[in-house]
Amino acid sequence: MNERIRLLFAEAVDIKLEVLHNSEMTIEIAYIAPLCEENKINDFIIVPFTKDFYPFESQLKTNPDYRKVDDVAKWQDLMLRGNVLIEADGIIYSFEASRIISIENPQTQVESAIQGPQLALSEDLNISLNLIRSMYPSADLSVEEHTIGSLSKTPVLALYDQRRVDPTVLDSVRTKLMTINVEMLHAAGELEKLLVGKRKHLFPTILITERPDRITKALSKGKIIILLKGNMFAIILPATFFDFMHAMEDDYDAYWMTRFLIFLRYTSIVLTITLPALYISVVSYNPELFRVQLAFSIAGSRSAVPYPSFIEVFIMLFMIETLIEASIRLPRYIGSTATTVGGLILGQAAQQAGLVSSIMIIVTSVVAISNFVIPVNSLSFAIRFLKYPLIGISIFFGISGVAVGLFVYIAYLCNLRSFGKPYMRIFGKLRPLEGDVGQVKIK
Amino acid sequence: MRLYIRIFLALFAVCLLGGCGFKDIDKRFFVVALGIDQSDNEKKPYRLTLQLAVPSPKIEPGASKTQIESIDSQSIAEGVRMLKAYVDKELDFGHCKVFLIGEKLARTDYQNLLQWMSRRRDIQSVADIAIGKPDAESLLQVQPLSERYPGNTLFLSFGADGTESSYTYVESVSDFSRRASEKGLDPLMPVIYKDNKESFIINRTALLNKKRVKLVLSSTESQLFNQLANDFTKSSMHGMFEGMDLVVAITAIHSNFRIGKQNGEDTITMNIKMRVVFEEAPKGLYDEQWRPIEISLNQEYAKSCIALLKKIQKANVDPIGFGLRYRANHPGKDVWKEWKSIYPNIAFKVNADIRIEGTGLIK
Repeated sequence: MNERIRLLFAEAVDIKLEVLHNSEMTIEIAYIAPLCEENKINDFIIVPFTKDFYPFESQLKTNPDYRKVDDVAKWQDLMLRGNVLIEADGIIYSFEASRIISIENPQTQVESAIQGPQLALSEDLNISLNLIRSMYPSADLSVEEHTIGSLSKTPVLALYDQRRVDPTVLDSVRTKLMTINVEMLHAAGELEKLLVGKRKHLFPTILITERPDRITKALSKGKIIILLKGNMFAIILPATFFDFMHAMEDDYDAYWMTRFLIFLRYTSIVLTITLPALYISVVSYNPELFRVQLAFSIAGSRSAVPYPSFIEVFIMLFMIETLIEASIRLPRYIGSTATTVGGLILGQAAQQAGLVSSIMIIVTSVVAISNFVIPVNSLSFAIRFLKYPLIGISIFFGISGVAVGLFVYIAYLCNLRSFGKPYMRIFGKLRPLEGDVGQVKIK
Repeated sequence: MRLYIRIFLALFAVCLLGGCGFKDIDKRFFVVALGIDQSDNEKKPYRLTLQLAVPSPKIEPGASKTQIESIDSQSIAEGVRMLKAYVDKELDFGHCKVFLIGEKLARTDYQNLLQWMSRRRDIQSVADIAIGKPDAESLLQVQPLSERYPGNTLFLSFGADGTESSYTYVESVSDFSRRASEKGLDPLMPVIYKDNKESFIINRTALLNKKRVKLVLSSTESQLFNQLANDFTKSSMHGMFEGMDLVVAITAIHSNFRIGKQNGEDTITMNIKMRVVFEEAPKGLYDEQWRPIEISLNQEYAKSCIALLKKIQKANVDPIGFGLRYRANHPGKDVWKEWKSIYPNIAFKVNADIRIEGTGLIK
C-alpha cells in the first residue's frame, strides 16, 4: 500500500508511511502527521498492535471505528481528511484520527446578548452540532452532508426539522448545494453569495448568525440551517426582512421594553436612510419645514460654509464612512484611538474651519449611530449604502424626490424573494397540529 | 468598464449642478414680518415694509438683528418683485408669520391684500394677521430688547408658545380669508400699538366687515369678546358686591347661543357657564354665603355682555357668526336677505351662570 501512496501524493515530508511488526503479523500504516492526533494513533493502533493482548486482526474486524476501504480512489481523500490508512492481510482499513484546531467554546462576539446563551457556534462541526442537538433534542432533526469546493472540499451540513420544513425550499436548497461549482469555500458569506446567485443584490436574503438560540428557533419555524466546517457562522434560510431586525433579546426581555426597542430600531433605520437626504432637501428646497429658531441657527451656522449643502453632506459622510471602515479593520488597540481622533477632533475642527455646519455634524452622527442599532450585521451593511441613492435624488428633486425614492425601496423590498418566500412578509405562527404529517421524503 | 467610468463621470458632473429650485438656506433672506401701508402717493398706493432676518449662529437675548426694507409700489406683488433687486439673497416668505396691515389701509379696503396673501404659495396659512397702529412700518422698526432672534417677539405674542393674554385675539390668515368670504361671519383682527419704549401692546380688537374696519373694541371689551367667542379661560372678571371690589379668575367657561323667537320677538339667547376663583376679594368672604355674590356677578356680567353685543350689532358686523347659524338652521333661498333685515333689530338675552369654586385661599 505504501508504495502506491507514495505515488499518489506529491513529495511531502509530513506524510508518514510506516511498517509495524509484532509477533503475529505485519501491518502498514499511512497518514499525514499534522492532520492527525498522534495520541489517538498511539492509543488505537500502535499500542494495541504492539502489546497484542487481543488479536489485532479481530479488533480490526469488530470495532466499527476501523472502516473497510474497498475503493482505491478514496485513499487520497481519506488521508487528506485526517484518516489513518491501515493495511492488514491485504485489506485496507481507515481510522479517523483527525485533529481539528478550533477555538474552544467561543463566546458570542458579533451578536452578543446580555441574557440568553453566551456560547457561539464553533469552528468544529461536531461541537456546533453538539450545541444545536442539545438545544433542539428532536428526533425530527435531519442532518445532511454535502461537500463544496473542488479544491477545498469543505464539508457542509444542512440541518432541518423534517416535519416542519417547506419541501419546495428544501428541494431548491439541495439542488443549489449540489450544483455549486467553486474551487475554494471558506466563509459563510461566500456560500451565501453562491446560494443567492444574484451577484448584485442590495439586501441580504440569507441570515448569517453565530447564535445557537437563533438557529434552533429558526429550525422550529421550519427553516434550513447550513453549517460550514471551519466557520463559526451558520446560514439560515429562507429569511425575511423582519428576521434581520430581530434581536434574540426581544424574546427574552420584558414585553413593553422590547416593543419599544423594536420601534426604536425601525425608527433608526428610517433615520439612517433618509436623514442626509432630508437635510439636503429641507435646507435647500423647503426651509419653512424647520421651526424658525432652527432655520435661523442653521442659516447662521451655514453662512460660513462655502459649498452647497450636498457637498457638505458628502464631505461629512465620506469622513464618517472612512472612520467606521478604519475602526473595523484596525487592530483592537488602535481602533479606539482612531475613533477618538476622527470623531472628536475632526468633527469639531471641520465645523470651526467652516467646512461644514454644526447641524451637519449632528446629522452625520445620528446617521452613524442609528445604523449600528440594527442587530444583524449584514443588514446593517446593506442599509449603510441605501442613503446614497436618496442623496442623489434629493439634490435634484427635494422632499418629493426622497418620498419617491423611499417608495422605490419599499417596492424593491416587496419584490425580493428569499428561496421563493416573499422577503417583506410577516409569517405567522406555525400551528404544530397542521404540520403533524411528515412532509419530506428522505432522499 | 469604460462605460461605467463614463456614466460615473457624467453623474459626477451633473452632481455639481443644482436645480433651479435648489437654493441653500444661507442664500435665502427670510421675511419674518411684512407690513403693508397705504402711502400718500396716488400712483403707488401701497407701501411694503419687509422685516428681514439676519441669521446668526448665536441665539441669545438682544442678539437679534433685522434689516428693514420698504418700497412704494402700484401693487403688492410688484412691490415684492421690486424689492428683490434691493437685497442680495432670495426672499423667502416661508417663515413670515406676521402680517401687519396699516390702520389707514384697513380702514379703506383690504380685499386686494387678502387676494395676494391667499394666492402666493410660500405664504403659510397659519401666519397671523393684525392691524398696526398708527402704521405698520413704524411698528416693524421697533426692536424689543429681549428679542432672541428676528421677529421672535411678534411670533410669541400671538402663538400659544409665549404669552397667552386674554386681551389678544389671534387671527390667522386662513381664518381671516374664510371670514372675509363667508356670509354671516365677519372678520376681526387684533390691533397692535407701539408704546414709547421698545415693545408692543396688543390689547384691542378691530371688527371688520367684508371690506374695511367698522369698529375697534376697547381692551376690556376685547377680553369680554374673547371669553364669549373663544371660551378663553386665562382671563379675569371684575365685579361689585355690596360695595366690595371683587376680581375673579375664570377657570372654565362655556358659552352657546340660540336664535329664536321669544314673546314674538327675534332673540339671540346666550348661555354662559363659568367656574371662577377669587383673585381679589375682601377678607372674611370664605364664611359668607356665596350664592348672593354669584347672582350679582351674573347680573353684572350679563349686562356688560349685552352692551357689547349691542355695540357690535350697531356697527352691523357679525364676528360671532349669528348669521351663519341662522343660515344653517333656516332653509330657503332668501334666508340671507331675511337675516339682514332681522339682525339690526334683533334682541339679545344673556343668561350667565357663574359658579364660585373657591376663594383662592385655604381659609
